[in-house]
Amino acid sequence: MERPSLAQTLLVQALAALTGLAAGAILIWLTGGDPILAYGGLWEGSLGRPASISETLVWSTPYILAGLAVGLAFRGGLFNIGAEGQLSVGALTAAWVGFSVQGVPWPAHLLLALAAGALAGAALAGLAGWLKARTGAHEVITTIMLNYIALLGTGYLLSGLLKDPSPFVVVAQTPKVLESARIPALFSDLRVHWGLLLALLLAVGCWWLLFRSTLGFAIRTVGLNPSAARYAGISIAGTVVLTMALSGTLAGLAGAIEVLGVNYYHTPGFSVGYGFDSIAVALLGKSHPLGVIPAALLFGALRAGATRMQFVSQIPIDVISVVQGIILLLVAADDLVRRFYRIGGRPAAVSAERAAEGTVARTWGRAD
Amino acid sequence: MPHLRLVASVALLALLLAACSSSAPAPTAAPAKPAETKPAETKPAASPATAASPAAAASPASSPAAAASPAASPAASPAASPVAATKRLRVGLVTDVGKIDDKSFNQSAWEGVQRAQRELGAETKFLETTDPKDYAKNIDQFAQDNYDIIVTVGFAIGQATQEAALKYKNVRFIGVDQFQEKATENVTGLIFDEDKAGYLAGALAGLLTQSGTIGAVLGTDLVPPVVKFGKGYEAGAKSVKPDIKVLMAYHPGGLARGFTDPDWGKATTTQMIQQQADVIFGAGGNTGNGALLGALERNTLAIGVDTDQWETLPQVRPVLVSSAMKLITPGVFDLIKASGEGTVRGGNVTGLVGLAPFHDNDSKVPPAAKERLQQIDAGLKNGSIRTGVTLP
Repeated sequence: MERPSLAQTLLVQALAALTGLAAGAILIWLTGGDPILAYGGLWEGSLGRPASISETLVWSTPYILAGLAVGLAFRGGLFNIGAEGQLSVGALTAAWVGFSVQGVPWPAHLLLALAAGALAGAALAGLAGWLKARTGAHEVITTIMLNYIALLGTGYLLSGLLKDPSPFVVVAQTPKVLESARIPALFSDLRVHWGLLLALLLAVGCWWLLFRSTLGFAIRTVGLNPSAARYAGISIAGTVVLTMALSGTLAGLAGAIEVLGVNYYHTPGFSVGYGFDSIAVALLGKSHPLGVIPAALLFGALRAGATRMQFVSQIPIDVISVVQGIILLLVAADDLVRRFYRIGGRPAAVSAERAAEGTVARTWGRAD
Repeated sequence: MPHLRLVASVALLALLLAACSSSAPAPTAAPAKPAETKPAETKPAASPATAASPAAAASPASSPAAAASPAASPAASPAASPVAATKRLRVGLVTDVGKIDDKSFNQSAWEGVQRAQRELGAETKFLETTDPKDYAKNIDQFAQDNYDIIVTVGFAIGQATQEAALKYKNVRFIGVDQFQEKATENVTGLIFDEDKAGYLAGALAGLLTQSGTIGAVLGTDLVPPVVKFGKGYEAGAKSVKPDIKVLMAYHPGGLARGFTDPDWGKATTTQMIQQQADVIFGAGGNTGNGALLGALERNTLAIGVDTDQWETLPQVRPVLVSSAMKLITPGVFDLIKASGEGTVRGGNVTGLVGLAPFHDNDSKVPPAAKERLQQIDAGLKNGSIRTGVTLP
């Protein structure tokens, strides 16, 4: 099987994104809006000014981490739908450690809070991995169900045990995390923080792990061909649990850095949708740790620019979700893009790299 | 192979159509919103009328702006807005995490802003917040575009409002349901007299009861507004029926569980109904909603709280006779008006309260009771009736 060149892959993904934006413009036009005005606002709010670029990076940071989480699981042949829940337990745990642990200086306190968030995400995802390895329960089902448990459980704790006890606070939110547990900003007056560098570093780390380490080889082999992996003496069960736990670690960190770097508290409304958007980010990035970065930047820019777009054109912010949805569709069905733009002479059958990723379809089998 | 491309084009079109139809609610809502401020297009049809003209009781529509006017601007109304006449007032609204058409606080506040557009010729615009981390950014959009007034809705956005107020001293901020612990010159918190709302609910319950026993299921008594609702309810009921028996239960779980325990609300309601209560007032977030659901189960009349719960909790419609509402729409409008006239100060301003429309249960309220409620509402407004509620 011939693998498409890197340039061609990049071209197809870029065309998918552009086609999504074009479809969004048509949608805006069809509903009576002015696409030029709207996209002008989108540009201005995402890249047009230093503050806008900072906001784009703020939005991109959790997307990078959560995209890495989903992408890593993809590489291991696992479809982690649970990033949303892992993110929320990571955020809650980080907030809890951040406000309740007293007397630990910065940066020890910060590291503690980050570790706690990562661990919480790892535990939740690891549970799904363990259920799969142990009982064969499909991780799509278990992670979806665990999402409910995580999100509703988080909501319960936020409005109960972990709620800010001040009588003036009438909504469900935690107290503020202490200064000693906060991620400092990169520049004064801008919100972009050191969590971005952590995310980029972890992307490189994931790349190294997947493509340069023995463990990564095991993860990819299990993802590509479980029978071959078993034949090679790789423990399938152990690798599945570990892959899910690593995926959950990244998702938990995504939640933790949002709390410790941007919001400084946790509340049920926060983090809604990152976990699901991150599936699209991972697919757009071809489940490659370095591919996830530009995908996350694109989604971050769309989200950050949406405010300005809404402001200048009064186009509902939901349009952005539709654009994201179309991009996801085109990425998932990339033969559409290839054919439409006449790229690649391969037949329409399953493309080589899709087979290599061994993603959605085959994971419905047992990983025994 | 040209036919392949044709197939792909069709498929893409299908994708597009699918995307369009799945997103139908959002885009179709767009034209209804005042894009680019065209006052003529904003039909007043359903908007202010629903919230602002309850069938019988509190009718802010009939009450002149002066009465509704916040305490801080007693002399404001006669002066015919000199500022607005010379310069077009620009008013922006930032929602809590939630939609502009949430049938609750966001929508009510936006209707107040829209009224300012119609009556004061204000230029208006809103921003929906999708993530709490965007609160400050959304406020900045308006502030940096030199808006005169920024309305922020709900408690959760209160802190971002405070911070923005320190940053943009020339902008007037109106914080809906944001109690100001200490006054900031350019922030006005729109708050409400819960005891008066409770009083009206109590009077309604007292006028409706056959058994002579009514109930109130409330959130924790650690939160002062809840106690004001409860005590007001009791006082209102006794004002129309001195020998009435009022069963009151505050949630014992404190702040932790007080507002999030519908099961307790339901169970407590059932007990009260077993003790002959035939009207139940539920006030306390989800706990109160549980009470309304409990009343529905036993087919007992119920009264909701804060907004018109006919809209926010439709499943209880069969038994929901009214709701003790905070009238956000006129409150926001009056504050915008007074701001334009330059007569608003920082701190807290108390908005009006009133009963929600009776909707389909209108026939269950006798005409005499409606008349009585109107008198009580007028009395509460002009100060001839006092709830007598004081907090220790």
